[in-house]
Order: sequence, then C-alpha cells, then structure tokens
Amino acid sequence: MKYGRVYADDVKVGDELPVLEKGPIQQIQLTRYAGASGDFNPIHQDHEFAKTAGMGDVFAHGMLSMGFVGQCVTDWAGPGAVRKLGVRFAAIVRLKDTVTCRGRVLAKSSKDDTHLVELEIWAENQRGEKVVTGKATVALPSRES
Amino acid sequence: MPIQLNKALVGREFAPFVVTIERGKIKEFARALGDANPLYLDDRVGQASEWGDIIAPPTFMTTFREAGGDNADFLRELGTDISRLLHGEQEFELHRPLKPGDTLLCRSRLLDIYEKTGRSGPLGMVVRETVASDKTGELVGTMRHITVVRL
Repeated sequence: MKYGRVYADDVKVGDELPVLEKGPIQQIQLTRYAGASGDFNPIHQDHEFAKTAGMGDVFAHGMLSMGFVGQCVTDWAGPGAVRKLGVRFAAIVRLKDTVTCRGRVLAKSSKDDTHLVELEIWAENQRGEKVVTGKATVALPSRES
Repeated sequence: MPIQLNKALVGREFAPFVVTIERGKIKEFARALGDANPLYLDDRVGQASEWGDIIAPPTFMTTFREAGGDNADFLRELGTDISRLLHGEQEFELHRPLKPGDTLLCRSRLLDIYEKTGRSGPLGMVVRETVASDKTGELVGTMRHITVVRL
C-alpha cells in the first residue's frame, strides 16, 4: 500500500506503520546527502579526519536517518500530513549498517475539522539497537470531509 | 582538561536570512534520502495534488543553514571545532508543506548551552532554533536542534 491515503477514522491507537528498510549505508549516499543538505562536515566523508577526531571511521549524518524515519511516516500518512517530527539520535549509524524504520500510533484527537494522530517513531540497526527515537504528529483527512 | 564552551552566546540572535525554495533542490534532497515519492519528484503529480505543486520532505528545513549554522567563525566563538560535533536531537514543526518558490524569512537563535555526562565523557549541549515565516509574516515552520560537543 505504498503512498496510500490513510483516513483518521480508520486509525486505532496501537496500530503499527508499515516497516521501512533503508540501507545498507554506502559512502556515496553520505556524499549525496552532504550535497543535498549542505552539511559538509568531513567527519561523514573523510576516513582520516574521522579517525583523527576519535570516531574510528566516517558515519552517517543523523539527519539522513531522520529523513528515513520521516519517509516511514510520509509513506503511510502522505508527505503533506506531517505537522511535527522530532527525534533523538541514540546511536551512530556506520557504513554498511541497515536502518529499519518503524512507527506506532500513540494517540488520536480531533478538533473542528482537524484530525491529529500522534506517533511513536524509531529506527534500528541490523543488531536491533535503536539509532533514532522520537515522535511525530500528522494531520489526517476524515472520510466525512 | 575538557574544553569550555562560551555560554555568553546563550540568547544570541543571528542575522536574519532569506531562503527561496528551489524546485531542483527539493528533488535533489528527496533523491539523496532515496525517497521516490512522486509528490516530491513529479511536477505533474504535484500540480494535480491539493497543494498545486510538488512539496518538500518534512526534514527539508535542515537545508536552511545560512546563519547560526556550524560555520568556522561561529564554532571558534563557541570554543570548539567541527571535529567535536555530534547531532543530539532535532525537531520540526510545520504549519504547511514547503513548496518551490516559497520565499521565507528565517531567524535563528541560540537558546541554551548546558553540560551533561555521556557514555564517553563530558558533553556540551548547544540548543538552537530557526523560525521561518512567509512574505505575509505567517509562521511556516520551526526547527529546533541540539548539537552535542565532545568536550
């Protein structure tokens, strides 16, 4: 059901979003993301720089993982639905890691014609360790409107 | 000795800057995420949508980094350099989707600097916010982020 339309009426607390698998992370994606986002911190590009900085090797931009979690939400709710998206970066994502994004409905509320759904969102690496945790709020249409 | 961050920067308002959202930049950003949603990439799908054009992914405001960003001058004044930075937290509040041609006035502020102890040692937390409003003065989006400095 990719890019399907979700109606507030059909959403229940506890519902899980379709799982989104991203990665394995490759250097070229970090380079593309640097260009697209304007974040050219060499710690994501230059092995020697990352090593000297004490990080062992390059690692992914946190914002790349947040973008993946955002995609998990927008694949389900639609890209225009997101009102709030907030995360904490819990662990570093490295080259060859996979990032599995998940979400769950925490709460629903309606006021006038606005139907808001609050989600718990998170991403895990291939070892099941959480790399991103957070919350999102989406505005969904109602079948009546 | 851990480094000391310059707490006098708390409350600093950075120079306001204007961002005009470019169609190609939205597509480049979506492709870099590996997100092929046609509402980001296909102009005809965008025109037929309720927004009348393609829209930007929800994290697109992160590209607004002209002022109050991690440039060398700011980091020197803060008392650190780019090799010590990690991303701690990030939040976006959006009042409507961003579209090509949107011209937004962005104001960034440094809200707080505090310390905490992480798994690997002392950390400095730098909290910043950027508020974007459109030509009519209407608030379009807010982004808040916490940068972690390994002290």
